[in-house]
Amino acid sequence: MAEVVFTDVDKFYENGVHAVQDLNLEIRDGEFLVLVGPSGCGKTTALRMVAGLEEISGGTMSIGGRVVNKLSPKERDVAMVFQNYALYPHLSVADNIAFGLRLRKEPRKMIEERVAWAAKMLDLTPYLARRPKELSGGQRQRVAMGRAIVRQPQAFLMDEPLSNLDAKLRVQMRADISKLQRDLGTTTIYVTHDQVEAMTMGDRVAVMSAGLLQQVDTPQRLYDQPANLFVAGFIGTPPMNLIEADISFDGLAVTISIGAQTLTVVDAGLKRYPRLRAAGGRRVVIGLRAGDLHLADHRPELPSVTARLELVEALGSESIAYFRIDAMAIRPEGLDEEVDDELLGEGVTAARPNLVVSIPAESAYGLRLDTDVRLAVDTAKLHAFDPATGEPLR
Amino acid sequence: MTTHEQAFERAEPQAVERRGLHRPSLSGDWWRHLIALAACFIAVFPVLYVASAAFNADQSLGGTNLIPRSLSLENFRELLSPDPAKSQLQSSTSHYLRWLGNSLIVALTTSVLTVLLGALAAYAFSRFRFRGRRLGLLSLLLIQMFPQLLALVAIYLILLRTGDVFPFMGLDTRTGLILVYLGGVMGVNTWLLKGFFDTIPSELDESARVDGATPAQVFWGVVLPLALPILSVIGILSFVGTFNEYVLASALLQSNENFTLPLGLRGYIDKQYTEHWGPFAAGVLLAGVPIMVIFMSLQRFIVSGLTQGSVKG
Ligand SMILES: Nc1ncnc2c1ncn2[C@@H]1O[C@H](COP(=O)(O)OP(=O)(O)OP(=O)(O)O)[C@@H](O)[C@H]1O
Ligand SMILES: [Mg+2]
Repeated sequence: MAEVVFTDVDKFYENGVHAVQDLNLEIRDGEFLVLVGPSGCGKTTALRMVAGLEEISGGTMSIGGRVVNKLSPKERDVAMVFQNYALYPHLSVADNIAFGLRLRKEPRKMIEERVAWAAKMLDLTPYLARRPKELSGGQRQRVAMGRAIVRQPQAFLMDEPLSNLDAKLRVQMRADISKLQRDLGTTTIYVTHDQVEAMTMGDRVAVMSAGLLQQVDTPQRLYDQPANLFVAGFIGTPPMNLIEADISFDGLAVTISIGAQTLTVVDAGLKRYPRLRAAGGRRVVIGLRAGDLHLADHRPELPSVTARLELVEALGSESIAYFRIDAMAIRPEGLDEEVDDELLGEGVTAARPNLVVSIPAESAYGLRLDTDVRLAVDTAKLHAFDPATGEPLR
Repeated sequence: MTTHEQAFERAEPQAVERRGLHRPSLSGDWWRHLIALAACFIAVFPVLYVASAAFNADQSLGGTNLIPRSLSLENFRELLSPDPAKSQLQSSTSHYLRWLGNSLIVALTTSVLTVLLGALAAYAFSRFRFRGRRLGLLSLLLIQMFPQLLALVAIYLILLRTGDVFPFMGLDTRTGLILVYLGGVMGVNTWLLKGFFDTIPSELDESARVDGATPAQVFWGVVLPLALPILSVIGILSFVGTFNEYVLASALLQSNENFTLPLGLRGYIDKQYTEHWGPFAAGVLLAGVPIMVIFMSLQRFIVSGLTQGSVKG
């Protein structure tokens, strides 16, 4: 068991792609760190550099206090779980799990014990004699896990291990892997592009975009205090509403103009984003979580704006309502359209909803599509960013 | 964690595929059977004819019928222990067993080495990125375009000179012949194997490396077992091809005791008098046995879908 430290790590591929840029990241001993980011941001590359499958172009990488830049995968003593499991098809489940131990010439008896132990941990005992092709996707996934845990390596590296499973099994395996990691206490780097996985599994989450590390923190802090516009837009479901607004400051109160409508920011909001005052007279990006907007009747004490209701998705206990408000919506660079593809019907791009609100299911019944609705804004919870740099106005 | 899954699995047998409900009727498909029968007949006829000639006591080719008039093992006896007084061959002694041995040694060594060297080269071309990789692959293909026969004179001269320095691999040696055969098919097999290795997901290699395998262990322990089907096919094809090869062998081998089977048997029908078709047929028939044995023993490896289940795509 050991900590993994990236110091100024760079990765250039032969084709000139700068896949990982100046990465500084410390994964503490026993920690479960999730590396998350949109497709192509360099997560896999970073992980493969830890495993020794990819050369490190610059900086140093150390595992357990030992610089491993020039060490082969074998000498690094880490275990990796691949997205497609990469089981050895010609070997039985037991032999797959024992593969690494056999290579290390461990005594036979010890190998048998360890394999039996791993199989028990993962409920694989009935399948030990089977070949991988005779297993279901979830079972294959567990064999891949078994191959990793049986060696008791310094660190686990997992590259989107759940992305090939169906949604239900994924939720279950998410919990299983978290528990397994906690029981074993092995340092783990877990790569995913699914921010829900990141939020639910990680002790800490590292958000990457375009080869750059954006923020490393606990899931809650990422959610409450995003370090920049990108993290704000990436973390959270549904994604944070990011809209352009003009700020005015008259020496006492900060007022936000969203289109023709204005809101006054309460002190609590100014306390979190004090630089809002200095932004008076400028255009900024306001961030509002779907849960910090309410129907005006429910929260009469809050200031409100008017928006047109475009679509309601019922999720059971709550509903997600999509509104359109007269203002520019912002999509942080690097966040592509995939976030809410389903809204992208033919020809409606120009008139896309730009305000997402989650409301209790029973209140959604009273709403009629294509009508104007008053929405209360909890300005104590709003976020504000500089549109040019993406920095928070803290 | 698996209760849900186990329940699901238990339910599976109910969904067993119902097969064979619709069986094509003979009446509707008679023409398919006709074509199949005709094809079988065409394929089997020469074999039957040779078999008949081999067991026929009557030695002349013209007199041979598909159903011999009288059965005898006379041809086999003459083939295996020729009577010098009776034999009309100039060399006066048939070395049938020796030729068979030569052929087996040459063909087996060639096919084993072909598979091994081809696999090593193909693995390097498939997995490593090194300078000259593209050039190497292209030149392998280009060189292969020229039939080996064209190089016969050059090969002859090379072996002649080599023999001056290393007599054991010069002209008229089995080692020399094996080397020539090896060079001849290396390119094609390397390409074939490279194509196959490319289909083995590189995550398997990487996973093995992280598990602690050296490149050699990855090759022997992971890649080679997965390539068994194609290795067997290449092994068999190379064995049969070498076993039957005549032209190169006839140019490079000179003394009777070094002959391979095709060369030696040729002696029976090479002469003015063609009375030796009987022993020739017997010899050909016997020569089929090792090929059958090799084929049968490798057949079980030629199964498809070996890599199934390794990765989820
Ligand atoms: N072998 C390679 N050669 C050249 N460029 C590469 C190679 N592998 C990846 N890249 C590039 O490096 C960048 C980062 O790739 P990487 O695989 O690390 O992304 P990722 O974050 O894992 O994405 P995903 O979530 O889609 O798996 C991408 O722009 C990709 O095109
Ligand atoms: Mg990836």
